[in-house]
Amino acid sequence: MTLVHNWHLGRKMEYPYFESRPKQQFAAVFNINRCIACQTCTMAHKSTWTYSKGQEYMWWNNVETKPYGGYPQFWDHKILQLLWDNGNNPMEWYTSDDDKDATSAPYGLYNSDTIFELAQTKGLNQQAVGYIPDDKEWRFPNIYEDTAASEKTNYETGPAAESSELPEHKRWFFYLQRICNHCTYPACLAACPRKAIYKRKEDGIVLIDQKRCRGYRKCVEQCPYKKPMYRGETRISEKCIACYPRVEGKDPITKGRRMEARCMAACVGKIRLNGLLSGDYTKPDPKNPLDWMIHIHRVALPLYPQFGTEPNVYYIPPRWAPRSYLRQMFGPGVDEALEKYATPSRELMAVLQLFRTTQTMFARFEIEDGKKIYETEVDGRKFEVYNDTVIGFASDGTEMVRVQVEEPTWESDEKRMVTY
Amino acid sequence: MLNKLLFKSVLFMCAGVMLLLASNDKVFSQGVGLGAEAEATVEENIPREKALVVKYINADLDTIDKAFSQAAPLKLELQMQDRAFPNGGGSVSALEVRGVHNGSRIFFNFKWSDKTKNDRVIADHLFRDAVGLMFPLDIVTISPETPFSPRMGDRGKPVNIWHWKADWEREMDSECGFEHMEDQYPDMFTDFDFHTHPLHFHDQELHSIPLISGGRAAGNMLSQPNKGTTVEDLNAIGFSTLTTQDHQDVQGKGKWENSGWNVTMYRDLITADTNDVQFIPGVETFFNVAVWNGEEGDRNGQKSISTRWSPVKLETVKYDQ
Ligand code: SF4
Ligand code: SF4
Repeated sequence: MTLVHNWHLGRKMEYPYFESRPKQQFAAVFNINRCIACQTCTMAHKSTWTYSKGQEYMWWNNVETKPYGGYPQFWDHKILQLLWDNGNNPMEWYTSDDDKDATSAPYGLYNSDTIFELAQTKGLNQQAVGYIPDDKEWRFPNIYEDTAASEKTNYETGPAAESSELPEHKRWFFYLQRICNHCTYPACLAACPRKAIYKRKEDGIVLIDQKRCRGYRKCVEQCPYKKPMYRGETRISEKCIACYPRVEGKDPITKGRRMEARCMAACVGKIRLNGLLSGDYTKPDPKNPLDWMIHIHRVALPLYPQFGTEPNVYYIPPRWAPRSYLRQMFGPGVDEALEKYATPSRELMAVLQLFRTTQTMFARFEIEDGKKIYETEVDGRKFEVYNDTVIGFASDGTEMVRVQVEEPTWESDEKRMVTY
Repeated sequence: MLNKLLFKSVLFMCAGVMLLLASNDKVFSQGVGLGAEAEATVEENIPREKALVVKYINADLDTIDKAFSQAAPLKLELQMQDRAFPNGGGSVSALEVRGVHNGSRIFFNFKWSDKTKNDRVIADHLFRDAVGLMFPLDIVTISPETPFSPRMGDRGKPVNIWHWKADWEREMDSECGFEHMEDQYPDMFTDFDFHTHPLHFHDQELHSIPLISGGRAAGNMLSQPNKGTTVEDLNAIGFSTLTTQDHQDVQGKGKWENSGWNVTMYRDLITADTNDVQFIPGVETFFNVAVWNGEEGDRNGQKSISTRWSPVKLETVKYDQ
C-alpha cells in the first residue's frame, strides 16, 4: 500500500498504487432535482453498448429510486453495512474550519476507514472490502420505482397527512442516476490481480482490457458502486467505457471535438453536464463549468465519498430529501450545496442553462450580464433573477452555444390561430 | 488514526517514483502493484528431493490409463496461496501426479479429491475446478544460490504453464462446444412463451455477437467457442503476468469420478514454439502444481498450491531389441 491524497476525504489514504492523476478527468454533474426517471439515458446506453448476448442484465447506466431502489438490489445498503463493520468503523467526518482547506479538504476530514483501509485493518487478503451480487440481485433494475419513504405509514397518519414542504419532505423519494464513476482511485483496478484494468492518462477513463481479463470477478467484488459486470457468454467482465470514442472526438457529428457520452447527450430532463475536469484539483479553472461547479462553487458532490475511490460523477443533491440521509450519501458538503442551489447565484443560474444544449463537451464558459427580470424571497433570503447570457465554448475555442436565463418565447399572430 | 497517517506520510516520499509512472500512457499500469506480494523464501528455492519419474512406456492416448497404472505416483501436499493478493485456497490438501512418455509425447496425470464438480462459469457465482502445471521455460538449476520462484516465475525467469479447466472439458464433450446463456437461463428470451427459444429472437441475439462481442473480438481465448482443447498453454514472468500463448500446443482430458478429479494433460515432447518448455529424455527439469476448487470460489491466486519445485526426470527411450 502507498499513501495518496483523496481531496473528497481531505486527507491521504491507503491505496495499492502511487498517486498519479490523469492530465484531464472524465467527469459529469448530475442535477438530481431535475431528473424525471424517464430512463432515456438507460436506453441510450443499452442500445449503444449492451444489446448482445450475455449482456442482457447489464445496465452501465441505471436510474434507481432512493431510498429503497438499487441495481443491483440494495448495493449501497450492503456496502455501507460492510464499511460500518458492526460499528467499529463509524464513518465519521470532522468538519470544523481547522479540518477544511479550500482545495485539498473542502468538505472537512473523513476520520474513518475507506473500503481499502478497512480491508487492511481487518487483515483481509484483498485490496478492498466488497461482495459479488448474485444474479437475482441484478434482476430488477428498477425495483421500488417511485416507492416513497416515510416515518409513518398511511394508516398512522391518514393519507397525505404528512405534508410535503421544503426544506425536508416527511414523505420522500428521489432518483439516483448511476454510471461508473471513472474513479481517481478505482477499486476495480486495485482489486484486479492481473492488472487487466487501467486508467487512461489522457482522460482518466477506466477500462477493462478484454484481452487480459480472465473473469476472476475481483472487480465485480470490490467496486463499491457495482459497475463492473460479469458476462457469462464471454466468461470475462465488462464495464462502462465512458463512450470513449465519443470523448475522443471520433464521432463525425462534432467535427473532431470531444463529445458527451450517450447517456449524457440523451438526457430528457437536461440534468446532465459531461466534460473533462482539469487535471490539477488544487488549481481548478474557474472558467471550466465542471471545475467551477465542483471545486469552486461546490454545488455538486461525490456519491459516497467515504468509500474512498474519489468518484468523478458529481451530484446536485435533491432539495427535499432528509439532510441526514443526504449527508450519508454525499458527505458533509450537502448543506452548503443545497443552500447554493436553493437560491442560485447569478453565475450558477447561468451555468445551469448550459446543461444539454449541445453534444459537444464544453471546456470554457463566459457570462454576459443581462437585465433583472424577477425578485422573490426563498427561506427568508432575497433572491433575484437576471436575464444573463451564458456562452459555452469547445476546447478549440469555438463558440458552441449561447443561451439566456429566461427562455425566449413567442406568441403567434392571432390570425394564425386557426380552429377547426 | 491520524498518527498512523502522519507516520505513513514519511513513506509517501517515495512518491518520486510517480514521475516514472507519469511518463507512462496509463495512470495505473502493469507492474507497479505494491505491498501485496512477498518474495519466495529460501526454503522455497530448494526443490524437493523426490523426483517425478516420467516412465517410458510405448502407449498412446487410448492405452494411457493402463500405462499410468504402471507409473509410480508422486504425492504432493498442497496449501493455501498466501503470497500474492488475493490469498486463498487451501481446500485441496493433496495431489497425486504420474508421468509417462512414449518417445514422442509426454503425458501427466493428476488425481485429487473434490466432492463437488464445478464445471460451469456461465453465471456470476459459478467458478471452475482446474489444475495448473508449471515448468521453468528453460533448462535451469534451482537452489538457494540460484533462486527461481516456484510461484509464477519471475522477471527474466519465464515459466510455461498448462492450465486444464473443468468447464472446457464439459464443453469439449458437449454437442455445441460452448455453453451459452440460455443453458443457464432457459427462459431468458421470454418468460411467457412455451417456446423457450423463439427462433427469430434467438437469431437476432446470436447475430449481434460479433458487433459487441467483448472478449471474443479481442481474441481472448477464454471467450472463444470451439477451442479444440481443454488445456490453455500460457507463460508468466511473475505475479499478474499470466499470458495466453498465441500458439496452443497442449491437450487434455479429465473426468470427475468417485468424488475426485482424474485429469491428464499431454503434449509433444518437442514443439516448434519458443515459448514452450521442451522435454528431452534423460534431461531433468522441474515442475510445480496448483489446484482450484470452484465450489470454494477459487480463482486466480485463490488456489491450493505446492510451494516447492519437484524435479521431473524423463526415462530414456528403450528400444525393444
Ligand atoms: S434521461 Fe435524464 S431525466 Fe431521464 S432518467 Fe436519465 S437522467 Fe433522469
Ligand atoms: S465506479 Fe467502480 S468500476 Fe467505475 S472506476 Fe470506480 S471502482 Fe471502477
